[in-house]
Amino acid sequence: MSAGEENIATPGEILGDSSQFIAGKGTYLAPNGRNIHASLTGQRRLVPPPPDSAEKRLTVEVVGHKTRGAVPEPGVVVIARVTRVMARMASADIMCVESKAVKEKFTGIIRQQDVRATEIDKVDMYQSFRPGDIVKAEVLSLGDARAYYLSTAKNELGVVSAQSIAGATMVPISWTDMQCPSTGQVEKRKVAKVL
Amino acid sequence: MDGQLSAPTQATSLFDQTVIPGDIIVDLPSVANLRVGSGLRQDCFELLAMKVGTLRYKKPNKYWLESSHKRYDPSVEDTILGIVVGRNSENFLVDIKSSSLALLPVVAFEGGTKKNIPKLEIGSLLYVRVVKANHGTNPELSCTDASGKAAQFGPLKEGYMFDSSTGLARMLLSTPTCPVLQAFDLQRFKIVIGLNGRIWVNASTPSMVVLISNAIMASEFLSASQQANMVKELTDQLQTRCSVR
Repeated sequence: MSAGEENIATPGEILGDSSQFIAGKGTYLAPNGRNIHASLTGQRRLVPPPPDSAEKRLTVEVVGHKTRGAVPEPGVVVIARVTRVMARMASADIMCVESKAVKEKFTGIIRQQDVRATEIDKVDMYQSFRPGDIVKAEVLSLGDARAYYLSTAKNELGVVSAQSIAGATMVPISWTDMQCPSTGQVEKRKVAKVL
Repeated sequence: MDGQLSAPTQATSLFDQTVIPGDIIVDLPSVANLRVGSGLRQDCFELLAMKVGTLRYKKPNKYWLESSHKRYDPSVEDTILGIVVGRNSENFLVDIKSSSLALLPVVAFEGGTKKNIPKLEIGSLLYVRVVKANHGTNPELSCTDASGKAAQFGPLKEGYMFDSSTGLARMLLSTPTCPVLQAFDLQRFKIVIGLNGRIWVNASTPSMVVLISNAIMASEFLSASQQANMVKELTDQLQTRCSVR
């Protein structure tokens, strides 16, 4: 048995006592309030307490041994591709979380009231997004079992890249319009102000 | 024999001619602010035909195909006949003979509010106007005109509805009045024509309703004089049968 194996914890394994340790990431406190169990498979790690707190106990964590893909959290900005546009909402596939690509598919929904900050009841979804547009959105909440709730209600959020009906990548000309460079036609989108 | 790829053809030579899917139309007279209508798709400065039809052009920038199909492609401001197939909290779901169901908001009636939603049963026939028709989303309908008045939109009671092609419906609605309609005594029946290929007829007797419906269905490919003769024969036959009784 090598020294490395002593540090590997599996779910359910007791890592210590609550009088000596605080339960950190990847661990939980048992209902009896005494034992700390691991909830993931990974390396057991001890983290010293911050120097200026009154806490004397070390924090025990279990760090996953595989790198996981990024997962959307409330408050982070994600890049998504719009898949369907309906009367009151648009559905999008989340592709990147901040700057990391995701490894498994996540779905997000942008509701009519979350498209922009002003005049939210007069929003026309089809003049804000079209299927195939790439949008930058912020995750509002974990939503329901099917999808995250996303919002584009800020100046820097919205459509960053879109194709025109003629098939060319459009150039933004205002926060509501994008223009096709080959035919000159202007199409309506909720455009992100990318600096 | 190998299929030949259609060569790009000059637009002016194709105006009012029949095009087939795959035909490429180039050299458009003016390319600023192109308004491309049904049946055509724009690819930079060329148009591709998506359906079989006659290419029409209106100066300075409108192009569209006139075609006749069983299935209807919704376009804004068309007046059509729809059948209610369901309801959710905000809309009635209406079948309009198109690839997706259309949504009719429950408040889209004259003086409509959430408190006085009309009781439309499944199977009701409605005369409606298309408000939104975007690719990829369900079309949206309304039972009012642009100013909010009822204007003859709404449910149709009694009578008889039958299906036709979209081309026949357009022919019946053209001005001057289509010969087959002109040949009938216009005061003795009511007719509502939907651009989606649904026609509703009501008259004083069932035999008259059947006569009118059959005459319309048979008239699609007849010339004006043939239509007039056909209607005359049918009405004469009906008269002799009625007088024999």
